[in-house]
Amino acid sequence: MTSTLEELDLDTTTRVAADVPWQTVVWDDPVNLMTYVSYVFRSYFGFPRAEAERLMLCVHTEGRAIVATGNREAMERHVEAMHGYGLQATVSRAEP
Amino acid sequence: MIVAGRSDGEGVRLVLETEEAMLLSELADQVDSVLLLGEVDDPALGRLLPSAYPEDHAASQEFERYTRDSLVDGKRQAAQRVRDATASHEGERVVQIELDESEAWGWLTFLTDLRLILAERVGVIEEGDTESDETRDDYLRAAYEWAGFVQGSMLEVLDPISS
Repeated sequence: MTSTLEELDLDTTTRVAADVPWQTVVWDDPVNLMTYVSYVFRSYFGFPRAEAERLMLCVHTEGRAIVATGNREAMERHVEAMHGYGLQATVSRAEP
Repeated sequence: MIVAGRSDGEGVRLVLETEEAMLLSELADQVDSVLLLGEVDDPALGRLLPSAYPEDHAASQEFERYTRDSLVDGKRQAAQRVRDATASHEGERVVQIELDESEAWGWLTFLTDLRLILAERVGVIEEGDTESDETRDDYLRAAYEWAGFVQGSMLEVLDPISS
């Protein structure tokens, strides 16, 4: 979990300005328990409890939340992991 | 069904009635079958393995090519472990299962996949849909609710403050 965060930081800080970043988006799903989504966010991304809860509520109320930003490969790894947990997640280009 | 902490603090302890264990084993076997035999256009499989790029067919297929096998393997392994842990306890009144945190994750993800499949089969998403086979739907809905109860109870033990 720690290594994921470090990679994420590295991705963000070493990105050159010309690169358009990518996003990992998690979508609302009426099936998944809110406590489960929050626990996944904390366990996988290493978010503090408050941040995990905020993002989970964002998914729940807004229908989606951006849970990570960085290079495309890193975002695809996150989306693959989210699919492994049974969450609906997509990769998209960040808004300029 | 009793869901409790373990004496050494890590993980979770489950006590299931024999009937509950048999039901769970059967459901786990069905999840495994959906993953193994599911048709490409099975909407339940679409819930388990959603598109990473819904608006970019080529990118979506590329992602699927690199990730699908390992995702299916992971989900099948989780289902098989639940099936094996709950299988064949005839003669016993209760089935006791101890899970460490990593094993508990396998159960949590399995229960999520199970609920996604049941939701698709019973049409939780398509409200107002009048299904003719009401008995089958009642059974699936009860299994869906029960799987949610088991998962919620496990989370209360594994992640006490948020629950």
